[in-house]
Amino acid sequence: MQAYRMIPFQMFDAFTNMALDEVIVERVRSGDSLPTIRFYGWQPSAISIGIFQGIHNEVNLDKAKAAGVDVVRRQTGGGAVYHAAGGEITYSIIGSVNLFPANILKSYEVICGDIVFALKNLGLEAHFAPINDILVQEQKISGSAQTRRNGILLQHGTVLYQTDIEKIEHLLNVSQEKTSDKLIKSVKKRVTWIQELCGASLDDLKLALEQSFSRERWIEIGGYTTQEIEQAGKLVKEKYTTNAWNYRL
Amino acid sequence: MTDPKSQSITRLITRKIPGGKLVQMEITFSDHIENVKLMGDFFLHPEETLEDLVNAIRITSLPFDPFFLTACLDQILIDHEAQLIGASTEEITSMLEEALSCKPTA
Repeated sequence: MQAYRMIPFQMFDAFTNMALDEVIVERVRSGDSLPTIRFYGWQPSAISIGIFQGIHNEVNLDKAKAAGVDVVRRQTGGGAVYHAAGGEITYSIIGSVNLFPANILKSYEVICGDIVFALKNLGLEAHFAPINDILVQEQKISGSAQTRRNGILLQHGTVLYQTDIEKIEHLLNVSQEKTSDKLIKSVKKRVTWIQELCGASLDDLKLALEQSFSRERWIEIGGYTTQEIEQAGKLVKEKYTTNAWNYRL
Repeated sequence: MTDPKSQSITRLITRKIPGGKLVQMEITFSDHIENVKLMGDFFLHPEETLEDLVNAIRITSLPFDPFFLTACLDQILIDHEAQLIGASTEEITSMLEEALSCKPTA
């Protein structure tokens, strides 16, 4: 059975979080690091946008700056996400594509299956909803995004513990279609979070996720190596905090 | 003499693909396509394929044949062994048709 390194929950800023994912992809590819599952949070709160999204279309940059909310472009597709500090747990799983179904949609389902299992352990009737969501009572509680580069799969995603819909609407721009009252209401109805659904604590969620991702894998609990931290710091400066990357669209 | 640049039009077309993702096309054109951006929350593996898709749209002569452009975009996906998830080449072509339906006046 393939061994994985599991790195327990830690909080970083948005740029470091994205840089760590990219550095670990490269180090898993080179064989310097084990396939890795990491759990992390965002400090300060941040917005991540998908690799193909136009930053001005998605984010009210003035309001984000005034609120002290960082904005970063991910290396994965998908939509803009508001990551409240302490309001969610983000996971990443990084390993050879050979460890996952070749079919991308199927691989989403398999990896999201670990989150579904964790949520069920918290007493929630969760299910996977293609392409990349997990729903409880038909409301979205988790979204994920995946990329595959040079034979390595990275999937990361969030599980909402608590959220502030009004802040999301304040910071994220919505397209014209979404500004009608009917659709705004439907967005509110489409999202849910752990705290709204049950009495589980954030630590309960962390434990449930660690256990579910460990079910069918050989897990070695570990941390970030000095090289990973150093390389991530370099990537923060050279990529994830640059206008060339974040404002490319 | 009319400055050709003064006839340029920029349009942003936003489309939620049924069962898929949101796709946005920002296009500047006059009697030819001057610039195009393809944006949205769709997935494309490998992501670098987007550059070739956008270039194929940018060099499309006007008026254009939707079936030919869709075939070109499909071929690019094949060449890159790429997968477009949450959007389709037909929808992208259709968005271009919609954008160009507002033609610059002579």
